[in-house]
Amino acid sequence: MVTDWLSNSRKLGKYLLVLALASWVGCGDRIPNADQAVEQGILLKGNGAEPRTLDPQKATGVTENKVISALIEGLVTYHPTDDNEAEPGVAESWEANEDSSVWTFHLRDNARWSNGDPVTAHDFVYSYQRMLTPELAAEYVNMLFIIENAEAFNRGTVSDFSEVGVEALDDHTLRIQLVGPTPYFLGILQHYAWSPVHQPTIEAHGGMTDQSGTWTLPGNFVGNGPFILSEWRPNQLLRVERNPYYWDAERVALNGIIFFPISDDNTERRMFDSGQLHVTNTVRSNDIPNLRRTQPERLRMDPYLATYYYRFNTTRPPLDDVRVRRALALAVNRQRLVERVTMGDQSPAYAYVPPAFDGYENQTSLRHDPERARELLAEAGFPGGEGFPRLNLLFNTLEDHRKVAEAIVSMWNEELGIGMQLENKEWMVYLADQSQLNFDVARAGWVGDYLDPMTFLDMFVTDGGNNNTGWSNAEYDELIQRAQRSRTQEEHYQLLMDAERILMDEVPIAPLYWYTRIYLIDPRVKGWEPKALDNRPYKYVSLEAE
Amino acid sequence: MSFPKSLSPSSKRLPTVEIQLDQIEEGTSLWQDAWRRLSSNRLALISFWLLVAMVLFCFVGPLLTSYSYRTPNLDNALQGPSWAHWFGTDDLGRDQLTRVMKGGQISLGVGILATTVSLIIGVLYGATAAYLGGKIDNAMMRFVDVLYALPFTIFVILLMTLFERSILLLFLVIGAVEWLTMARIVRGQVISLKRQEFIEAAVSMGLSTRRIIVRHLIPNVLGVVAVYATLTVPAVMLLESFLSFLGLGVQPPMPSWGSLIKLGADNLQLYPYLLVIPALFFSLTLFCLNFLGDGLRDALDPQSSKD
Repeated sequence: MVTDWLSNSRKLGKYLLVLALASWVGCGDRIPNADQAVEQGILLKGNGAEPRTLDPQKATGVTENKVISALIEGLVTYHPTDDNEAEPGVAESWEANEDSSVWTFHLRDNARWSNGDPVTAHDFVYSYQRMLTPELAAEYVNMLFIIENAEAFNRGTVSDFSEVGVEALDDHTLRIQLVGPTPYFLGILQHYAWSPVHQPTIEAHGGMTDQSGTWTLPGNFVGNGPFILSEWRPNQLLRVERNPYYWDAERVALNGIIFFPISDDNTERRMFDSGQLHVTNTVRSNDIPNLRRTQPERLRMDPYLATYYYRFNTTRPPLDDVRVRRALALAVNRQRLVERVTMGDQSPAYAYVPPAFDGYENQTSLRHDPERARELLAEAGFPGGEGFPRLNLLFNTLEDHRKVAEAIVSMWNEELGIGMQLENKEWMVYLADQSQLNFDVARAGWVGDYLDPMTFLDMFVTDGGNNNTGWSNAEYDELIQRAQRSRTQEEHYQLLMDAERILMDEVPIAPLYWYTRIYLIDPRVKGWEPKALDNRPYKYVSLEAE
Repeated sequence: MSFPKSLSPSSKRLPTVEIQLDQIEEGTSLWQDAWRRLSSNRLALISFWLLVAMVLFCFVGPLLTSYSYRTPNLDNALQGPSWAHWFGTDDLGRDQLTRVMKGGQISLGVGILATTVSLIIGVLYGATAAYLGGKIDNAMMRFVDVLYALPFTIFVILLMTLFERSILLLFLVIGAVEWLTMARIVRGQVISLKRQEFIEAAVSMGLSTRRIIVRHLIPNVLGVVAVYATLTVPAVMLLESFLSFLGLGVQPPMPSWGSLIKLGADNLQLYPYLLVIPALFFSLTLFCLNFLGDGLRDALDPQSSKD
């Protein structure tokens, strides 16, 4: 998901939040505090930034996903505890052919939209057609390119959608023909890019490619998830309520959820402390040592499928020299970084793919070795850092990124004798600078979209949309391509492991640590399990008074 | 109505005017008068010496501490005030005393330099427009209106991206956008002054426009200008921290009082000293500037009584 869940529009958000708080006073009786909410079965959740859209096919952020997964359910959905398992959603059962390239889903008869219409296989065909229509310009469209002919349809070389490998065999049977064997398809299928949308609603509000998103407003929105959208006050709150038409409505324990877009960590913390939230979105690193001592039962630090790393711009000297990049990567003491700077149980990362996959072993030649780093730098022509140009280190404006950047620059200075200029920029500028390769070294984070190392590794193929390093390696590209077509899990992992080894030998990026998902939670919230992708099947979450 | 002393008695024969003016001014110049009056204003004087002490603290202080403002000491992070670190340490274990001093360099520097720049441009521009009047005034002030209409941030971003980034440029850029209000205030003052007799006298003596503006009009508006300047300094300091936050200003590890206060505000609950100390220095400076500005206004007003 787009590089980072930590919010970006923090400053503006702060002012808007003041306004929001001011207007809450006026209608405060309608928002329960944490205690009242427990009695009413309403979960109060801090949700970072304001969602930009609730259209599952236009959404790109973690914030949006948190809301959408309450409103819409795909063929398969999130398992309450085990990320490797697919939980049946609209599909009751499914089977794949021998090489996992053709999948048939049997949809349950009692799946309903929130207006009472049945959810059928045709809805999915319509949804994938909408997603793939070039005019919609869906950012996550390439997730669907594993469907036969999908890419061609999106590029316009195939104009007839019936040639694309999605077919409703009858109302309750959907067949998906993939370009090749994809054993991890069920993992990908949990991503919200594969969500169904309600055709009559979309057609009634501007049609298939309408960009205004009016169909997602309360009153218009029709979904098929455990909850329905009942209220959306921009920058104040977003409220969802139990959906009576949901096929598994008895299992849903909560009566509703209120999502608060609070982009300022301090405000969120104060709201939690004063009993206005059950779950926060994040915790600032400076607060962690104190929270560990004073409220360990509320502080959660779950392993998270995400990597914090630095990008090198391999098109600019001296970073075009692999020895220089390697020296920089070797000189960082990651153990110290996670213990003293980030402080949230993160693991030091000497490889890129987070260690969350059985049978996948990180392939790396990186370690903490300042001695070797100095040698490499000397070989590259900068003994003791002499003559090394003053490079810029780009990061998006956020205190915790600033802390990491300052700590690392000082490590480089201490071990290698090189100075680096810090440069913080506003989120949008920071993103633009990265995609235009307008930086020397840049901070980055990547959160996995689905549970397969591929979600991390395929971004570094030549000219990949999120490559942003200028790095290109033909052998790497080929390994990724072969891994996309591999028939078995072992073969798939082996190819990806080989690819990661190349990535770590060439060091276009220096991984720093593997994230943990850090948040505060009210002990009365039950069923909120650690999940590597931080995906919550809200129907299993409940509130219990003590 | 009393004239500046220099103008009143001796304007019978034109050729001797200049010499006589200079002779008479000796011993009782505007600045000497001002200093005399300022020294009798206790509050202003204390503020003045406190500001001098603050400048010394910020610019000489860092040479006397044994800590670096930039090198993290991760084992020592977020320690409260102690003998080793009088003001405690920040979240990367750096001595907060040293950082407050270093931050003061930036904040005082930007305050003084940017205000000076805005003063020079604003006063000259406003006085010229007002004195010349007519179409020129109209054109000059419409130009100011246009600049007012430009969103400030966009203007700064434009200037900062067009030119190489540096701290000095930042100071100048802030000064270059802060002079607009100054120009308007000065213009208003000068318009009311230029119809008065002492200016007519100066005109009738054949003084050049430039001399009338610089020697006769500007000293008469200095009181207002001094007060407005002391208000500009804090505004400019805040602007600097805002720009630093956007990533256009001072970049870490270089601190400024604005960025130190921001860090402190973020950590107020657990580490209040991070906010209290830089905020104290910041507000003390602003207080001193305000009292001094007050005193300066009284001291610089040529129309106030001289005894």
